[in-house]
Amino acid sequence: MQISPDFLFNVVGFPITNTVIATILTDVVVVVVVVLINKEISLKPKRIQNVVEMIVDYFREITKSIAGEKASFIYTWGVSFFLFILISNLVSQFPGFESIRFHTASSDNDGVPLLRAATSDLNLTLALAVLSVIATHCVSVKYIGVRKYITKFVTFKMFPIFLFVGILEFTNELAKFISFSFRLFGNIFAGERVISTIYGLCSFVLPLPFMALEFMIAFIQAIVFAMLTMAFMHIMTDRSH
Amino acid sequence: MEIIQKFGLETKLFLFQLINFSIIVFILKKFLYKPLEKILDERKNKIEQSLRDSENAKIALDNAGEEAKKIIATAKSNADKLMVSIKVSNDETKEKAKEEAKQCSEKILEDARCKALAEFEVVNKQIGKISIDISSKILSKILSDLFTDDEKQKLMLRVLDKMYEKNTN
Repeated sequence: MQISPDFLFNVVGFPITNTVIATILTDVVVVVVVVLINKEISLKPKRIQNVVEMIVDYFREITKSIAGEKASFIYTWGVSFFLFILISNLVSQFPGFESIRFHTASSDNDGVPLLRAATSDLNLTLALAVLSVIATHCVSVKYIGVRKYITKFVTFKMFPIFLFVGILEFTNELAKFISFSFRLFGNIFAGERVISTIYGLCSFVLPLPFMALEFMIAFIQAIVFAMLTMAFMHIMTDRSH
Repeated sequence: MEIIQKFGLETKLFLFQLINFSIIVFILKKFLYKPLEKILDERKNKIEQSLRDSENAKIALDNAGEEAKKIIATAKSNADKLMVSIKVSNDETKEKAKEEAKQCSEKILEDARCKALAEFEVVNKQIGKISIDISSKILSKILSDLFTDDEKQKLMLRVLDKMYEKNTN
């Protein structure tokens, strides 16, 4: 099985891969959740509102207790990453993922999977990492100002110590792209490979513990991504840093 | 380049994912977090208000309890005072009635004594008169045979004077 997502077909010159379809499926689930909540939103929460409210409130309160006034901006990014990654990872556990095959001109007799976990595509995880880092820097500029933000990376105070520290900070920011994207991609991709290998060995009962593990990983990866983003946002908006 | 190809990194797909997630964030911010924040704040305010109300109610209840205790204590002390005053006034009334009854009985007794004395005087006088009459009649009868009319007259007068003197003493 290849690391890159499988190409299925072209739509107006845009390549549609199995992970793109999974991403759209995730989008649909997110939009349905939003529509359902908006439809039956009330002071006495019911079913889905209860769950989403619990997540939103948890992130909001935890951010408020750490970041104070900046919480309203920071937590929305945290929850967005968490919900999107979690839904994407959970959706990939549905039956049909990897098992429904699609035949293309370049594929062999077995064809290629029609659906594959969206987060097992580096394009998505890298896009999420880029957005996370950009949002972190935007929030930093917003709360500490451009001058203070620049001095985090370039300063001639106590030359050359702080200049070197600035270079390290810059490298650290570049490393975030790699750490964010590859952590999520690696975990989900590896999980998929394990599950498909186990399915190859025995399709009954045996994959269950691994599927449970995948559920756990889905949750852990979502919360790790969200928490790291929020932590970096808080660190970057800290004036004393 | 080979690594990028191996991982399937493609500009179009990367941009699609970037834009897609940005749209999702926008949708979530506008249609999920805002209404949920509103609801959460509203609920929080309601809970805080309810807590404040319950705290106030508790204080009011405590105050009412204290006030009730005070009122009961005041009522009790008033009742005690009233009981004492009633007892005192009862005793006084009793004493007064006793005194009045005593005075009244003494007056009645005095009146009766006076009346009896007066009646005794009257009776005494009447008895005296009667006894004088009887004595004079007896004496005149006895003396009519022994003395002359003149002597009788003188004797009778002397006897009567003596009797009269005796009676008046």
